Amino acid sequence: MISLHDINKTYPGAVPLHVLKDINMHIDRGEFVSIMGASGSGKSTLLNILGILDSYDSGEYILDGIEIKNLSENRAAELRNRLIGFVFQSFNLIGYKTALENVALPLFYQGVSRRKRNALAMEQLERMGLADRATHHPGELSGGQKQRVAIARALVTKPSIILADEPTGALDSHTSREVMQLFRELNNEGMTTLIVTHDPAVGEATDRIIRIVDGRIDGGNV
Amino acid sequence: MRLTIFQRENWREISATLARNKTRTFLTAFGIFWGTAMLALLLGGATGFKGMMSRNFAGLSTNLGAISSGSRTMSYKGFNKGTPWYLTVDDCDNILRVSPAIDKGSPVYYGSGVVLYGSTNKTVNYNAIHPDYGRIIEPVIYSGRFLNDADQAQARKVLVVGKNLAAEIFGADDPIGKRISLRGVHFTVVGVAGQLGEASISSRIDDSILLPYSTAQRSFNIGNQVHFFAFTAPAGHSPSENEEAIRRYISRRHAIHPDDKNAMWMMDLSEMFSVIDGLFLGLTLLAFFVGIGSLMAGVIGVGNIMWIVVKERTHEFGVRRAIGAKPADITVQVLLESITLTLIAGTAGVCFAAIVLGIIDHVTADPLLGMAGFEISFGHALAVLLIFFVLGTAAGTLPALKAMRIKPIEALRDK
Repeated sequence: MISLHDINKTYPGAVPLHVLKDINMHIDRGEFVSIMGASGSGKSTLLNILGILDSYDSGEYILDGIEIKNLSENRAAELRNRLIGFVFQSFNLIGYKTALENVALPLFYQGVSRRKRNALAMEQLERMGLADRATHHPGELSGGQKQRVAIARALVTKPSIILADEPTGALDSHTSREVMQLFRELNNEGMTTLIVTHDPAVGEATDRIIRIVDGRIDGGNV
Repeated sequence: MRLTIFQRENWREISATLARNKTRTFLTAFGIFWGTAMLALLLGGATGFKGMMSRNFAGLSTNLGAISSGSRTMSYKGFNKGTPWYLTVDDCDNILRVSPAIDKGSPVYYGSGVVLYGSTNKTVNYNAIHPDYGRIIEPVIYSGRFLNDADQAQARKVLVVGKNLAAEIFGADDPIGKRISLRGVHFTVVGVAGQLGEASISSRIDDSILLPYSTAQRSFNIGNQVHFFAFTAPAGHSPSENEEAIRRYISRRHAIHPDDKNAMWMMDLSEMFSVIDGLFLGLTLLAFFVGIGSLMAGVIGVGNIMWIVVKERTHEFGVRRAIGAKPADITVQVLLESITLTLIAGTAGVCFAAIVLGIIDHVTADPLLGMAGFEISFGHALAVLLIFFVLGTAAGTLPALKAMRIKPIEALRDK
């Protein structure tokens, strides 16, 4: 599903910052993996590259059989929309839209008709047990509910992979466990899931942990 | 790119965004509202002022010309500089014959005299004229009739009384058929008349008495003296075209030096009208200048608010980009927001201006002449809106381009 070969990334500046050094990584379809590292280790940069949000300098990145290299903004947006479901630490829901509209938004950018995207979004909300919250705005939802709405938004396009960036970072430990349980269930249904975190408890809840230290994968290539 | 203009969600989003910042939206919208309203008001006001100005000349042929005699300013053929000459009724007939572009002409002799009617004793102005005078200054007949050719040919002792004068002399009585004395001669009143505009050659018809020139010649012993010769040029000609022929005739007939331009006074109303037209053009240009200024202020306001909105929503746009929005999707969204704001506020401004102009038009309306024309034509209103549409789009372009450059990576940065 994900294949990285000798990925390097340097942020230019007065003192160039070499944040990713010869990253080699392979994740199979259906895996449930976490990437762990301290802040500044380069894990966020890695996530950005995996999420086609940022470019890399050298190496090769293949996502679901597609080489991710030198993409135009439009092509990158299209691939993000189709292949990747993002779950963010701060949920990143749009405050003035209802839960249903938030979930339907990625389909809007696919050009799906309003009726159809609302139906698909409702399906995902039902799956998250939030059907009764469909018309609520994010401000009226609890942290756990917000994150479940965000997960529903990530799933609505039926992506190849879920990329979650500290998905429990803003949640209490009880809610965190519930959200991790949810990821586990999704994985059991076959969803390839990659979680970036610095929380050992989150890492423990996944099947495989990839540790990043100073821009290198700890313990060699995985 | 999808035809986002047809997506209901987009419109919902635009209204939601604009409604979220009520104060700022209102202030910006007010800027545009005021800009369009000012532009429309100034344009409509300029039209109205022109209407009011030309209303003064209503009923007056725009091709009106007039001449009158004066004093020689050059010595010629034994006549010293400063000696006067007098226009005669025979001159009027001859000028009518020799001039190339005169449609109707009438001599005008004006004077004043005492009117007696019952116990009323009043000094009034009178004008002795040819019936064709009624084709030069169009009279409004309130009752009876105007002077006709038979009155002139038979030197009938009839007269037409001005509307205001009739009210003073006759009060509630019907003046028609009444006999009154003017300068000791008895006349029969055949009509009550007035005029539309304010402008007149000697005194306004409303405030004076009109009688046939032939009658005045006989009754008042004025000889063949004339104060003015008023005439109209036919359509497509200007009164000034006759100047050369008239001057040549007058110069030969009255022993005036051919180069003595100041010995005869000549007026060409069509020239005055072109002065008024020029004035109106200046007024319109001024209206445009001031209007465009306030319009620009409004448009810059839109650009400003959109810029701030984009800054504020950087994170949101980042999220949208992360979940699949293309740069153009974001640009279109920002542009539609600024265009919507512009169009709604602009339409309101034009409507407001139309209402205000309508009120002014009613307040300045004249019972006889109708509306002055304080109004903005539908075409002008559309043009104002179109200008705003274009400028609103232009104002939204810079912020929209800025929004387009927002990277999806913004979504991952914590606020």
